[in-house]
Amino acid sequence: MTEEDLKQRIADRMPQCGVAVPKPGRLIASVPRDGLLSLLHLLKADGFEHLALISCVDWIEEGELELVYHLWSQETKVHAMAKTRISRDSPRFLSIIPLFRHAQTYERELHEMFGITFDGNPRLVPMLLDHWQGIPPMRKEFDLRRHAKETFGVEERAG
Amino acid sequence: MDRGDILKTLKAPANWGRKYSLWAVYFCTGCGIIEIPPVITSRWDAERFGVIPMATPRQGNLFLITGYVSLKTLGAIIRTYDQMLDPKYVVGFGSCPVNGGMYWDSYNTIKHLDKYIPVDGWISGCMPRPEAIFVAVTHLWTLIDKGLADGYKKYKDNYEYYCENQRRVLPHLGKFAGGAETETAAAPATLRMPP
Repeated sequence: MTEEDLKQRIADRMPQCGVAVPKPGRLIASVPRDGLLSLLHLLKADGFEHLALISCVDWIEEGELELVYHLWSQETKVHAMAKTRISRDSPRFLSIIPLFRHAQTYERELHEMFGITFDGNPRLVPMLLDHWQGIPPMRKEFDLRRHAKETFGVEERAG
Repeated sequence: MDRGDILKTLKAPANWGRKYSLWAVYFCTGCGIIEIPPVITSRWDAERFGVIPMATPRQGNLFLITGYVSLKTLGAIIRTYDQMLDPKYVVGFGSCPVNGGMYWDSYNTIKHLDKYIPVDGWISGCMPRPEAIFVAVTHLWTLIDKGLADGYKKYKDNYEYYCENQRRVLPHLGKFAGGAETETAAAPATLRMPP
């Protein structure tokens, strides 16, 4: 099955989903937030059995957080990205642990770095940071330089 | 040994013993730990210089801080340093402990190690070659001979200064347990200058 076949299969079954093939071996599918679980189910049934990563993009001007689920198919060697956007002010989304069990760690990390709550994840405790207080560090309103200056006493550098 | 060194050795035999048996405590404090296995094994053989790896901090007297120091690691470093017995020498390895290096504006990495524990010597570079460790060790010998490697004395003399800086970034550390909240709220907004 080629990328174009996969694109056609998704477009047939989910009309609300925007699918694109930017280059060989890459598939990008964007859906509204209530369609994401169905999309992941579809992709998993089409051979995308490996969830490689969940990443997040902060679109601060649009007031949205974009969740990107990276899936990999051993069979067709295609890297698929399932994208959806959630509200930035009350970041909540469903956990996909029933579908991919190892998503637990990725969701835990996103909870720590972006403050997204995943309903259904049993263990959203801090992972990398140590007693972090204040806004999560990967959100764009977090002022990195000021934080470093206030906490660690960094001197401003020229250039 | 030079004949001229005999009198010096007799004057301070303890220093003579210390400088040739630097037992190194290190754990994976950062990326620089990659340089350590070749240093202690056959290719560079640190035992020529009296440096051997030591499993426990209570038996070691040389603390190598290898690479960047995140906040969690800093807690472990402070605990380890407090456990080591005097005299103890600290060598910062790589540019990150010196001034933050490439993590100079990171949110979770400390920038100046000598604000939290006293450091006797620095090795700059990213990463330094294993030979640089031996250069540092021979420099440390000179410092020990002259009585200049006195970081552990500075730590005792300026304990409040170091504790205040440590508490600013790690108020939940075991040694500050209790009263952490009230004291961090009262802490000044900027770090004090070293004495």
